[in-house]
Amino acid sequence: MKIRIDGMETEVTSGETILEAARRAGIDIPTLCYSEAFGGQGVCRFCMVEIEVGGKKRLVASCTYPITEEMEVRTATPAVKEIRRNLVTLLYRRAPDSDLMKKLFQEYNCDRIEPVDPEESCIMCRLCVKACEKVGANAISTVLRGTEKRVATPFDEGSEECVGCSACADICPTGAIPVKEEDGRREIWHRSFEMSRCEECGKHYTTQPVSEHVKEQTELNSSSENICPGCRRKKLAAEMAKVRLHVD
Amino acid sequence: MIKHQVNNPEERMILVCCGTGCLANGSGAVYEELCRALEGNDRYQVKTFAKATGCNGLCEKGPLVKIMPDDITYCHVQAEDVSEIVEETLIKGELIKRLMYRDPATKQYYRSHHDTDFYKKQHKVALRNIGEIDPAQVQDYLERGGYQALEKAIKTMTPEEVIEEVLNAGLRGRGGGGFPTGLKWKACAATDKQPRYVICNGDEGDPGAFMDRSILEGDPHTVLEGLIICAYAIGASMGYIYVRDEYDLAVKNLTTAIKDARKCGYLGRNILGSSLSFDIEIVRGGGAFVCGEETALINSIQGNVGEPWDKYIFPTEKGLWEQPTVINNVETWANVPVIINAGSDKFASIGTEGSKGTKVFSLVGKVVNTGLVEVPMGTTLREIIFEIGGGIQKGRQFKAVQTGGPSGGCIPEKLLDLPVDFDTLSQAGSMMGSGGLIVMDDRTCMVEVARYYVNFLAGESCGKCVPCREGISLLLDILTRICEGKGKLEDLDLLESMSKTIQQAALCALGRTAPNPVLSTLQYFRDEYLEHINNHRCPAGVCKELTEFYIDPELCNGCGRCRRKCPADAVTGEKKKAHEIDLSKCITCGECINNCKFQAVKVK
Repeated sequence: MKIRIDGMETEVTSGETILEAARRAGIDIPTLCYSEAFGGQGVCRFCMVEIEVGGKKRLVASCTYPITEEMEVRTATPAVKEIRRNLVTLLYRRAPDSDLMKKLFQEYNCDRIEPVDPEESCIMCRLCVKACEKVGANAISTVLRGTEKRVATPFDEGSEECVGCSACADICPTGAIPVKEEDGRREIWHRSFEMSRCEECGKHYTTQPVSEHVKEQTELNSSSENICPGCRRKKLAAEMAKVRLHVD
Repeated sequence: MIKHQVNNPEERMILVCCGTGCLANGSGAVYEELCRALEGNDRYQVKTFAKATGCNGLCEKGPLVKIMPDDITYCHVQAEDVSEIVEETLIKGELIKRLMYRDPATKQYYRSHHDTDFYKKQHKVALRNIGEIDPAQVQDYLERGGYQALEKAIKTMTPEEVIEEVLNAGLRGRGGGGFPTGLKWKACAATDKQPRYVICNGDEGDPGAFMDRSILEGDPHTVLEGLIICAYAIGASMGYIYVRDEYDLAVKNLTTAIKDARKCGYLGRNILGSSLSFDIEIVRGGGAFVCGEETALINSIQGNVGEPWDKYIFPTEKGLWEQPTVINNVETWANVPVIINAGSDKFASIGTEGSKGTKVFSLVGKVVNTGLVEVPMGTTLREIIFEIGGGIQKGRQFKAVQTGGPSGGCIPEKLLDLPVDFDTLSQAGSMMGSGGLIVMDDRTCMVEVARYYVNFLAGESCGKCVPCREGISLLLDILTRICEGKGKLEDLDLLESMSKTIQQAALCALGRTAPNPVLSTLQYFRDEYLEHINNHRCPAGVCKELTEFYIDPELCNGCGRCRRKCPADAVTGEKKKAHEIDLSKCITCGECINNCKFQAVKVK
């Protein structure tokens, strides 16, 4: 099936989202809550585009809209641009302490707005929740509803489920999840974890429950050595170097 | 005592309204007292028995007691009145004047509620049995033609014919969306996936709306019959009734009804000897307003957080457990047996071009007759508020009527002659919603009304998508500022621009309609916003920071009512001489202006 995105004809498979099709065609639709690892969430609405089907126009979230019929997609109409600008204004108002929102606020030339809390940096994109879910820990989720909604562990206490992997903090686009590493311990989400030392370089590289969690999840009981990703790469490269290529 | 003999029937039935409103006012005790008085009493000329029914609609006058077939209605009945009713009416056959309905405008007494303006203008379809039957007795429902539609559908119609009939009737979703019900059924039946589900949406959450509760409490079998007919039409195997946990009586009556329907063979295996096997379960909702949105409701049934998803694929294709699902509102289901029984032509003969049938409204606010009313689509707001509702309380001025729940809009006086249906209300910047009508008088500040509803939505939005969560937060912030006298003129542009973004970009219908209270008040009551911003004045005298009351000495006759009502002792004055308000003591609570019978208290 073929659709047109910003005038460009592109081949699509039925059921794939507009965002996926656009990205493949090299057309950039801005997103805040999207990750290829998890698919569309429809949360930030930053990826809204205009579609026209059979002469009828409507605005849809490109990350969740599955293409099932021929259509014309426009990714930067005045209405779409206005929505994005307003969304940036709203998110800057919520998370003025985030570098990402500061940058977008400038980029979208937004009008001055009074922030709710000058120290806030979370934009509630929920990528952290998705990451935690994918890791298999399910230690954090959104809590409460309405304007009070936020990401937390149950009852804002240390969660037994948390392994301290910091996948949540790593994926966070605004650096809103505090992680403290000191004296061989990592503090995250109301918990303190003892870290594992790399057998090769001696650096602390992950928490102990993560090493165990990985073993459990992947059943890689054989690779019981504690090696950081950097050293693992080096070690593998060294092994590779030993292999002699026979050229006759 | 009025000299008016009651009839002498073969059998006499006394119906005690035991809807939630009447129960709260003591109708349970009335019913018990009546049963005691009737038991073993052989002084009656005919067999007499009592029945506890669902809500009659005229909650304002409850507890209501109706005597049939004499057609006598008594209002505000208490347990103490029972012996008098027995002695005077049931035995001597005389009417008790003080318990009769008295028209608030004409002061005339009415023997039967049927003769009052409140009931005369109504046309009961969805509410046809409520108040007439005991909802806990399947026999009562059967005697009024219950389950005949199901029998007709299963025994004489194909599933396609049932869908065609509902489609032709022009029935549209009564929960607010107004989507053609028949199209939903057709789309679901056209999928190739099994199993399929039907769901009854009873998550009624609009402040002031109680039509779904009344139907579930007062006539649960009609909802079951609607669901079973749909199950036959689309080939569903399981149905769920999602009902708010707070609706205790509804859950109780539904539970009884489901058990009885199973016993009678209307639910279970091979219903009425056909190949249809279908059962219904009740799911109790946790009380989130957003769960009235169908995808959030489905998430909730599945045990997930009640958050909607993008409905680019409809639930008819991918709904509960990702299976084809038809989900309709309580009132919609209650209409289905009528359509099958009476035929689509008869049903479609009521209403307007685009909206067929009737609509139940819960008429509340500053109106004389608060309660539940059912009128044909196309009835004007004026008829509903002034003829059925009896006008505005305390003879005050009508200002606006809020329709469609918290994300509906406010309609001004100039649109009172608007024939109400799905399309006209949307065009007027409001919506049908589930049918809440909140009447407001001149003591209502429209900016504060917008702030109130936006505040409700700030707490009840699910908080998933940015435009709804953050947009509503900003709207609330601006409206609060305006109500406190800190608003700026450019705030109005920001309100409008953000409202538009929320409408266009929010994920679900709750978000997309959330700006309605703001936009409709800006459209019809912009002057009031400007007064708040430019002149730091709240013309209705509601926003405390912007209100100063004074007493017009020309109009004040010194009755002293305001002086006695004032909780801050701010009103002074001698008897029969004009009073004064000491502004240094005044807490602008409005007691004086609300209680003055001579309109002498004014807003500066």
